[in-house]
Amino acid sequence: MNVDARRARFEAVAPAVIDAVRRYLARRTDPATADDVLSETLLICWRRLEAMPDEHVLWAYGIARNCLANADRGRRRQARLAARIARLDPPRTVSEPPAGDDGLTDALAGLRPEEAELLRLWAWEDLSPAQIAVVLGVSVNAVNIRLHRARTSLREQLRKRGGAAGHEESTKGRRR
Amino acid sequence: MSDDDLRARLRHADPAASVAPPSPDEIARLVETTVTNVPVVRRRRHYALAAAALVLVAAGAGWALTRPATNQPTANQTTANQTAANRTAASEPATDGRDEPRTVRINAAAGIRAKCVEPSAERLAAAADLAFEGTVTRVENAVVTIDVSRVFHGAEADVVQVAQAGETSEQLTGSGRFEQGGRYLVASSEGTVMICGYSGEAGTPGLRDLYGRAFPG
Repeated sequence: MNVDARRARFEAVAPAVIDAVRRYLARRTDPATADDVLSETLLICWRRLEAMPDEHVLWAYGIARNCLANADRGRRRQARLAARIARLDPPRTVSEPPAGDDGLTDALAGLRPEEAELLRLWAWEDLSPAQIAVVLGVSVNAVNIRLHRARTSLREQLRKRGGAAGHEESTKGRRR
Repeated sequence: MSDDDLRARLRHADPAASVAPPSPDEIARLVETTVTNVPVVRRRRHYALAAAALVLVAAGAGWALTRPATNQPTANQTTANQTAANRTAASEPATDGRDEPRTVRINAAAGIRAKCVEPSAERLAAAADLAFEGTVTRVENAVVTIDVSRVFHGAEADVVQVAQAGETSEQLTGSGRFEQGGRYLVASSEGTVMICGYSGEAGTPGLRDLYGRAFPG
């Protein structure tokens, strides 16, 4: 593929990929790491453009996922991160989770990381089990089973925390 | 709680719900940064520092080489040849009225794995002692012969030979290495090809523009 055609192809998919991956990262990491990982993800997409399938956003999620895992592994977390955020990139308010549903945040934190990640892909990235299977590189069947378990675990966590049920009931109570 | 309720509740807590879509400017910037292959430097700061130091040294050397000979291209060429330790052979002096092509020999950059800082026209203008455009006519015994079509800066030459040692993948922008028949924009400093976005396929987005800004007119 010549340079211009390659570039044109990349430019055609870039807006959708950038939008999706930015959100994906905003949900999972701090802004500074998100910027780094976004650049890295795009670079890999560009280099492997020939291997890009039609489902380019799902493919990009898979790449971003690996890059993020590398970034998490590679960094000496607390001190460096704190220093970097303070120096280069003050936290943005946009990526703060909406206040209010602490019960859910806690419940998610109480799940195994793989379960929480499945639920995020399902609810936040709004992916179907078949699409999640592409991102994670596993079978659709496996996703269905694990997703079912993850939802059960989340309900369990919410129940355990009590506040979760209370949260719903109190809303209803107010309506009445 | 049904699956739908659960999903709705999760969605309500989506931290990226209020993330605005990227602006066209932001997309353009990210695309440009990506396709011109400028990797993120933050994670390897020590390499970046080393690269920056090299560039500074090169810039100093380039300035020292070009300064005394601004009005004497031939002298400049000779000085450059004597000074540059890694230049393999002296270039033919530009003799008037001869048919003999003027050949310059330079080396490909060694396999540096450092990530690069963004190329700038200023640095290119300061560091390069030779910058030209040409077509690869022969790749043979690790020597690339380039037929020069335009010299942006430095001594006039008709042919430039680049000693391409081993694998130089991902050093030139574009395809990564010199290929037969390809058109390239090449800059060299002290007899060594400048990489990190300063040399590459002539069609590389932004590269011609970079040369235009570094060597106007």
